[in-house]
Amino acid sequence: MLRPKLKPVLAYLVLIVPSSLIILGFLWLLITSFSTRVEGLQSLGWTLNNWRFLWESPFGPQYPSIWAVTLNTLVMSLIMTLIVVVVSSLTGYALSRMKFPGRKGFLSLTLILHAFPSVTLLIPIYFVLLWIAKIPLIGRDVPLLGGFGYNTIGGVALVMVAFQLPFGIWIMKGFFDNISWDMERSALIDGASRFKVWWQIIMPNIKPGIAALSIFSFLTAWNAYLIPLTFTAGRAGKSAVLSLYLQNFISESVMTEWNAVAAVGLFQLVPVVLFFLFTQEALLNIYGGGKKGGV
Amino acid sequence: MKIALEALNKHFGKVKAVDSLDLEIGDGEFVALLGPSGCGKTTTLLMLAGIYKPTSGHICFDDRVVNHLLPKERNIGMVFQSYALYPHMTTFDNIAYPLKLKRVRRKEMKERVQRSADMMGIGDLLDRRPAQLSGGQQQRVALARALVKEPAILLFDEPLSNLDAKLRLRMRGEIKRLQEDLAVTAVYVTHDQVEAMTMASRIAVMNYGVLQTYGAPNQLYDHPDTLFVAGFIGAPPMNFLEMTFKERDDGFYLKSQALEIRILAEQGALAKQDSIPQRVIMGIRPENVSIVAERDGDFKAEVYLIEPLGREDLVTFRFVDEEIRALVSAPFDGRIGETICLKLDKEKAHLFNPETEVSVLRTGNGRSS
Repeated sequence: MLRPKLKPVLAYLVLIVPSSLIILGFLWLLITSFSTRVEGLQSLGWTLNNWRFLWESPFGPQYPSIWAVTLNTLVMSLIMTLIVVVVSSLTGYALSRMKFPGRKGFLSLTLILHAFPSVTLLIPIYFVLLWIAKIPLIGRDVPLLGGFGYNTIGGVALVMVAFQLPFGIWIMKGFFDNISWDMERSALIDGASRFKVWWQIIMPNIKPGIAALSIFSFLTAWNAYLIPLTFTAGRAGKSAVLSLYLQNFISESVMTEWNAVAAVGLFQLVPVVLFFLFTQEALLNIYGGGKKGGV
Repeated sequence: MKIALEALNKHFGKVKAVDSLDLEIGDGEFVALLGPSGCGKTTTLLMLAGIYKPTSGHICFDDRVVNHLLPKERNIGMVFQSYALYPHMTTFDNIAYPLKLKRVRRKEMKERVQRSADMMGIGDLLDRRPAQLSGGQQQRVALARALVKEPAILLFDEPLSNLDAKLRLRMRGEIKRLQEDLAVTAVYVTHDQVEAMTMASRIAVMNYGVLQTYGAPNQLYDHPDTLFVAGFIGAPPMNFLEMTFKERDDGFYLKSQALEIRILAEQGALAKQDSIPQRVIMGIRPENVSIVAERDGDFKAEVYLIEPLGREDLVTFRFVDEEIRALVSAPFDGRIGETICLKLDKEKAHLFNPETEVSVLRTGNGRSS
């Protein structure tokens, strides 16, 4: 048997090996983005040239700047997070607390939808978005979002919301399930209406769940690639997001500037890392269940 | 406020949680709903609170049907087993919540919260959160919250079950005293018969959603109507022996393989009137079984188990294939395996019809002795 002192050492070893591989990758990214060329992890000359994209568009002035694209990504991520959290918490509450015909069916259906590979739905969704684009007012020409149809930030957000909702609903239902019925009954007896109970008593107690789901949704949207790629036309067009912007650097006709790719990749990564640093505790909650409260 | 339940039913699908319940609770009375888990007592309480809607029947507060009223329109205070405090609010906000919803003015709210917190002895804990309070303190906050709106009815759902034994005893006394001081009608759900006996002015015993009996604690203890009530109320529980009923020239006898006793003439007469007089179940409480000298005894039995309870010892005896338990004054000086002579206090014996499980002594308004 292992001696007690050896055990943690072994655990660290097992953890260090795979994480060092990942850390190496990030290290390469960092070094490369500030170098003219690299050999392994060794820089062959330092430069800031790769970060030029911050102040001028690398593809020519007719293309949007990185800041416009970042704004696009941010708007899309926030819109998606907002809708997912609001819809999931209302749906989760209803599924956790109310009895209605079709409740079980609905629950298993959402679970199946969650397991469904989104790729298979890309083509039908394309037609749906084309159709939405024809609806006046919301289809096109909404400021900031562009609209909710094809080739708009809103449209991409809408599709992302649809794919994220089953997960969100299940997570929120789990958090609501953890809130005791007695607390809700007590509030009803104290004189609150059903809506007030939800808003004043239940919601404050599932804050960890809301935080976790918001972060999770935001990160999913921020890193999304396939859906923005499919539902936006014109690769660096005005509705592009960061992941697509990054892809512009990799083309078949021109030599790929890996150093620039590294810099843009790092740029996309920075907010995520910052986000993680401040919210990892809440994020862990998503698998840990709700707050136990005063009991 | 008076409460009347008339033919109250609550079905969950095919399950009859509460089955045609009739119950009247007087103004200012303290009534306990007693029964094992799943007997429908909490369902009844939640119907009183307005959380559950009855399937059929009526709930009346002071002769007014309140079936359709929402919980907040019923002017009730409720204390839950889990306390059901709001973890994100301070003690003050917890207690003030009912008043906030009623839009009571800030100054008055402060006074009332302070008053009811002081009454519960938690006046100095108002800025703490529930997680920073002990179980007993949380219970007091829950009580203060129920009292702050000056309810016409107080409902308790096993409020003491989560407390340790010592604290439970103390809170039991406090709740009883509080209810008497405020003279508020109280309904108290519990599965603990000691709690029900000590606190309530009347006890309603329920089983499988059906009301078994309803009466004062002593009445239920001394004259249980059914086999279930006899077995449920009293600790240690009543002994039950299956006997055959015999009438002879010199009186009425109960006979089993190992024992034959003569019972009181009134008891015998009542048993004879019953539909199945041949077989009866005799119930006798452990305190009515005593150890006597050989010539006075009804039968002999072997000591099987001795459980010291402090003031008394609970001794289990075996005879033939039956068991009987006796409460004897401590210390019990017998040894396990020893054969000892026992006597039953026949005046305190209960006789039940084995088919209907109803007391055969019930007819003719209980017993005369």
